[in-house]
Amino acid sequence: MADPVVEFFDGLERAESTVLPVRVNGTARFDLNQDGETDHWYVAIQEGAVSVSHEMRDADVVLNAERGFFERLVTGRANLFASLLRRDFTVEGNLQLLMPIERILPQPPGAHDPRAFAPGRNDRT
Amino acid sequence: MSQPAGRTDDLVHLLDGNTFVVSDRRGDITPSPTIPTGLFSFDTRFLSKWLLTIDGQRLHVLSVDDLQFFETRFFLVSGEPTRYVDATLSVVRQRSIGGSFDERLTVFNHALEPAEFRLRVEIGSDFADLFEVKDVRQKVAQPTASVGDGYLRLSYQRENFLRETIASSTAPARVDEHGMTFDLRIEPHGSWITDLHVETLVTGARGRHIQASLKGHAVELKRRLNEQLGRWVAEAPQLACRWAALDQAYRRSLVDLAALRFRSLTYGEDIPAAGLPWFMTLFGRDSLLTCLQALPVKPELAPATLRMLAVTQASKLDDFREREPGKILHEVRYGESVAFEDQPHSPYYGAADTTPLFVVLLDEYERWSGDAELVRFLEAEARAALDWIDSYGDLLGTGYVWYRRRNLRTGLENQCWKDSWDAISYRDGRLPDFPRATCELQGYAYDAKVRGARLARLFWNDPAYADRLEAEAAQLRERFNRDFWVADGEYFALALDPDGGQVDALASNMGHLLWSGIVDPCRAGKVAGHLLGDRLFSGWGVRTLAEGEGRFNPVGYHVGTVWPFDNSFIAWGLRRYGFSEEAGRIAKAVIDAARYFDGRLPEAFAGYDRSLTKYPVRYPTACSPQAWSTGAPLLFLRTLLGLEPQGDRLVVDPALPDGVSQIELLDVPGRWGRTDASSRPT
Repeated sequence: MADPVVEFFDGLERAESTVLPVRVNGTARFDLNQDGETDHWYVAIQEGAVSVSHEMRDADVVLNAERGFFERLVTGRANLFASLLRRDFTVEGNLQLLMPIERILPQPPGAHDPRAFAPGRNDRT
Repeated sequence: MSQPAGRTDDLVHLLDGNTFVVSDRRGDITPSPTIPTGLFSFDTRFLSKWLLTIDGQRLHVLSVDDLQFFETRFFLVSGEPTRYVDATLSVVRQRSIGGSFDERLTVFNHALEPAEFRLRVEIGSDFADLFEVKDVRQKVAQPTASVGDGYLRLSYQRENFLRETIASSTAPARVDEHGMTFDLRIEPHGSWITDLHVETLVTGARGRHIQASLKGHAVELKRRLNEQLGRWVAEAPQLACRWAALDQAYRRSLVDLAALRFRSLTYGEDIPAAGLPWFMTLFGRDSLLTCLQALPVKPELAPATLRMLAVTQASKLDDFREREPGKILHEVRYGESVAFEDQPHSPYYGAADTTPLFVVLLDEYERWSGDAELVRFLEAEARAALDWIDSYGDLLGTGYVWYRRRNLRTGLENQCWKDSWDAISYRDGRLPDFPRATCELQGYAYDAKVRGARLARLFWNDPAYADRLEAEAAQLRERFNRDFWVADGEYFALALDPDGGQVDALASNMGHLLWSGIVDPCRAGKVAGHLLGDRLFSGWGVRTLAEGEGRFNPVGYHVGTVWPFDNSFIAWGLRRYGFSEEAGRIAKAVIDAARYFDGRLPEAFAGYDRSLTKYPVRYPTACSPQAWSTGAPLLFLRTLLGLEPQGDRLVVDPALPDGVSQIELLDVPGRWGRTDASSRPT
């Protein structure tokens, strides 16, 4: 099975400006911990174009998380803001870049289009 | 917003953004499960107990000075003062908030003898989430207390979630797990001082306060707060009038708007929070409408709010948070229940009106400011919002905006401004099925299309899109005037039910339709007649629901009370359709009501007939200050003076109510620079 983290970062490079407003600029580093080791993913966003590398470089915002948690995040099973409040990951730097990061995360599995509900059904309980 | 609970009369509030303190008039905070007393920050109660005693006795209050919204002084004495026995010890508690909670305690000995006594401050916190204060439940973890060198640390930890309160004193204290004790001796006519300092910690990266690890989120210093407030008021237009109620309400509104400004964790600019005590957070609807109201006076609130809402615009589906691509958020919260996803406000998107209103504010702001840059900057978001109206917003594919919650556990049933469960009903009181399409949503959608067309033509260089939006708007207007018009009563239905049937209660929502311009002019007279008729107009304003309807209740949150903000938009709408006298009558009624609240209009007051009560009866749990009530006098002012940007100048077309001779608003900011607006012919 493919590694969701690798898939996520690969997808970022491919997605480019289709998911991010053109004006978003900045750098983010994701430090992912697993078995006592830390993996670095450095993401630079320039005019909506995304490049990803494994460099341990200073970034505008640095997220530090367990890899297991990050897998849940990049598969839509964890919510970025609720997780931030729970401190499931930590973040340092410019939090304003979190919103663009949130935008590139996938939606929860099984999310519905509101139009998919049969019309007229009463949902009051 | 959903209905708050608990009485908040006779309490003293301090407020700075989303940090606030609610205490009794002695300055004491005592644990209460139902009333939101305490020190709150980021939707968490950091102090639920803060109690001052001398030799084990509570103190008695002589007076309370509200110095500023962030500073209060309490004058207290020990023992019950009587005509025959003077108190010999008095205590001044000078309290302020702004980054931290600080209290300077000064004790005076008025006697000829030295005074020896034990002063104690009881300190505790339940770390309740603001949602728990309203709806008490068992906490998952237990708060703990530990004594440090000269300080008391109260902590609440659940998994990694950590909130802490740290209390310290400049004068030496004996600290225990429940407070601080001072054994004092004060010489005759002497005094003693200590500064108590309370830090509220929302712990982020590496154990630091989350705000400290953020750039662009400098903690406000108190001395700067005072300076800022002075500047904020000085930079606003000056009002000159002989109408004392308006003068008072205007001044109060300026100060309260300053107090309600709030800076979110993830966004660096000030935006208006919704209201004290329950809603000290970002609400999409409240912020958008408040910015609209405040445009003639504080236009700078609008771009910050628009940018914040653009940054958080939804880009995907999420049932729990009711998100859909293009949607503008409803509410953001920071407490434990949101962190652990009992509540969906991370953020929550359960509102069907915020998305069109986003476009409305963007256009209206440009008309005032000439800020074309922002309109270009937010083009993608504005287009996504307009797309939402016809895609995810139109649940039934019938050309209307509908709502129906997907979060059945904690989502809102009614996703319009009247969001209590019983707000939308038929005449006979029955509640319609879902989805529902309330009438004002269609007005907002129409207005968004008309305004979006203007933006597309003038700024986005897309005349084809503008043509399309205008055609859609025209079709919507025609369809709406056909489907929503209740023929036998000659008014617009409150909503459509899922079968397309009219939800036919007579309600204030119609007034918003006039503001949006969706009403066929030949029907506006009937609408105005209903709004000012006996069933809707109480004498203090337009009721949310007409007397005689099945669910009418003069003290029902959205089913009979009078909401100042609602009235301010209704009056604006009446003016738009040429009903100046009617607009003036509403403005006069509500502004006059403000006198009974020291110029501070509450969220709502009771819908009793004016002849019955002589004064407006405050709705028992109303929030105050409430941003859009604070904004109401500003919009009334605009409406009375007939302020309308036209090209690069400000048109002034006054229509004052009976008994008001003159109103002048000087230095109104806008694309014209600064200009004076006067009711006197120039």
